[in-house]
Amino acid sequence: VSARTSAFWHTARRQLAAVFRKEVRQTIRDKRVMVLLIVAPLVQTVMFGFAVDFDVDRVPTVLVDQDRSDQSRLLARQVLADQTLRHAGDLAGIPEADHALDDGRAAAALVFPPGLARDLASQRPAEVQLLLDGTDPNRAMVASGAVSRYFGEVGERLIRERLEAAGRPAPAQVVLSPRVLYNPRLKTAPYIVPGIAGTLLVIVTTLVTAMGLSREREMGTMEQVLVTPIRPLWLLIGKLLPFLVIGIFDVLLLVAVGSWVFEVPLRGSLLVGATGVLLYLFSTLGVGLLISTLSQNQQQAFLGGFIFMMPAILLSGVMTPIRGMPGWLQVITWLNPVRHFAEVMRGVLMRGAGFGDLWFQLAFLAALGVGVMALAVARFRTQLG
Amino acid sequence: VTGSPLLRSLRRIGAMAGKETIHVRRDPRTLGLALVMPVVMLFLFGYGVSSDLDHIPLAFVDQDQSEASRALALAFDGSREFAVVGRPGPEGVEGLFRGGAAVAALVVPRGYQQDLLLGRKAQVQLMLDGADPVVGNQVLSKADAIARVESQRLAGAAFARLQPPLQVKVWTRYNPEGRSALFMVPGLSAFLLAITAVMLTALAIAGEWERGSMEQLFASPVGRLEIVLGKLLPYLALGLVELLMVVAFGALVFDVPIRGSLPLVMLFGLVFLAGMLGQGLFISVVAKNQLVATQAGALSAMLPSIILSGMIFPIENMPLALQAISRLIPARYLVHALRGILLKGNGLDVLWPDLLAMAVFAVAILGLATARFKRRLA
Repeated sequence: VSARTSAFWHTARRQLAAVFRKEVRQTIRDKRVMVLLIVAPLVQTVMFGFAVDFDVDRVPTVLVDQDRSDQSRLLARQVLADQTLRHAGDLAGIPEADHALDDGRAAAALVFPPGLARDLASQRPAEVQLLLDGTDPNRAMVASGAVSRYFGEVGERLIRERLEAAGRPAPAQVVLSPRVLYNPRLKTAPYIVPGIAGTLLVIVTTLVTAMGLSREREMGTMEQVLVTPIRPLWLLIGKLLPFLVIGIFDVLLLVAVGSWVFEVPLRGSLLVGATGVLLYLFSTLGVGLLISTLSQNQQQAFLGGFIFMMPAILLSGVMTPIRGMPGWLQVITWLNPVRHFAEVMRGVLMRGAGFGDLWFQLAFLAALGVGVMALAVARFRTQLG
Repeated sequence: VTGSPLLRSLRRIGAMAGKETIHVRRDPRTLGLALVMPVVMLFLFGYGVSSDLDHIPLAFVDQDQSEASRALALAFDGSREFAVVGRPGPEGVEGLFRGGAAVAALVVPRGYQQDLLLGRKAQVQLMLDGADPVVGNQVLSKADAIARVESQRLAGAAFARLQPPLQVKVWTRYNPEGRSALFMVPGLSAFLLAITAVMLTALAIAGEWERGSMEQLFASPVGRLEIVLGKLLPYLALGLVELLMVVAFGALVFDVPIRGSLPLVMLFGLVFLAGMLGQGLFISVVAKNQLVATQAGALSAMLPSIILSGMIFPIENMPLALQAISRLIPARYLVHALRGILLKGNGLDVLWPDLLAMAVFAVAILGLATARFKRRLA
């Protein structure tokens, strides 16, 4: 029995090695494919790492100062001081400000009504107006938050001064002193780079696998190989392995670039990170294989891959926070390997998280990978058998 | 055969387009995927993309154990923005952050209540997980607002008699409720058109090279440019149908307004599509292999039209070099123009520079692609 088993493994290894060699040669031969699999992810990570900045600032703001007092000028200068708003000119009145919002010259307009300084001096309630372009809700939220916070502080200061002037004790106050862990300046790049890496890996593994195998189906080459003594399973593994290798290589490259260019830290254990990467690639390759068994040609494989990819990217928490989604959608994101991968990478790189912290994500990745791969292999074998 | 040379040429282009339409129709799965995709993505974007958070999980470290500190916990827990998920000791906070159970923690020091009773400033430490800066920034501003309200409550009667001396009145134009669907639909349209036009044409034409059927087509009396134009036309139609679907679905399901003119939307879509089809043609001529064409398309059209177009991330916030690069991406102009037309009711008087930029891109890339195409055949 042992002789038979060892003969089995010997053949298996030889067959696997043969397919692997052939696939690697074929992939390397087309230099453009190699460029696209390695250089493209690199360029995109760098570009998007610089492009994506969640920290909204420099919102173009026009001032409508109808009070023209020292006080209104001081308030305007101070509210613009923290750079959230950028001074984009002065206008005479509200109709002009509306027009500036219409044609996009400004995204906000701050209006100081006439008599503002007089009202403040005589302790009458005063009001400034903020007109916002709401087309980008996030930007509008940030701009109105900054303005409200500033005038809230001014208002409180005024109250304290008036109470003091009236000889009454100032009221108590709760003051928050923030301490930001892991990413003290709340920079976007360390957050987004692991996510972008996960996204690009879907393109490199899922899409390429799905299209490559569909191409073989289109051309009928898969059937030709099956006439040879190679077993379908070894054929399949040999075809997927090169992309696993490229995927691992890309991850290493992107983590290196991330830490070098964007100062992404590496605080946790590499073992946990590597486990996450392998489980993730296993599931993305499985999805690619599954899509290829569902498509008749490359166009369909591309569209199928795309229909998987878009929700996977958008619902991964990379672009927008998962907590901002409705509850039912948050549950659906459990089925999304990109989400778990991004969380594992962020946990390991930034928070120094270990197996104990990330067991949920890793378990889901493993379950997804095994489930999808089993389904795909079963379909693949029935189709060829 | 009768008619002027132009008429005959048009007829041949029509025949090619008819042939390509039959191809598309015979492959209902591709067509179905191309038409289902916009709807699926619109739903995901409409519901899924929102940065405004509720019930942010907060750990409450109470070292004061007083009535005042319990009131502060209640102020946070009772708000829509935060939910107290645990009351660990100070050393337990990081564990909660690492496992993702909490993203922020309030540490109330001993002596908090005493400070308040004495009318002093009572310091409370707000720890937050900076690994996710979007959440982090919101925690900062939302916690600040709640602390201010708590201060006012504590000040009680002294404050109540004073009217707030200075207030801000905020008017939000175009999208007063801040709904993300209104923001996303224009961006999504640009993105879907970019994908359909670039990817499907690149694949369709690269497929002809790959299978060797392009040479067969050249043997027919149809001119080479006519072949290309004929192949592009059905995808132009498909793209316009997708644009209409997205705008219609946006209006019906998410109440996205159409304040400007619908024909203007179609005009912008048409000019944009011409450029994207040119880009698809260019890629296919260079790649002539569907796998390479897909990757090149993803690199040059798909990701830039998500990330550099202003669809999700504002362009003003990018470094200047990337702002310059984004000017070469037609999706940027379409996103801007569609937002202007749909949400603001802008007309050509405001948006002509966008149309001009897209037209320049279309002419340039179609010229380039045709030149490459001719040279490859020569």
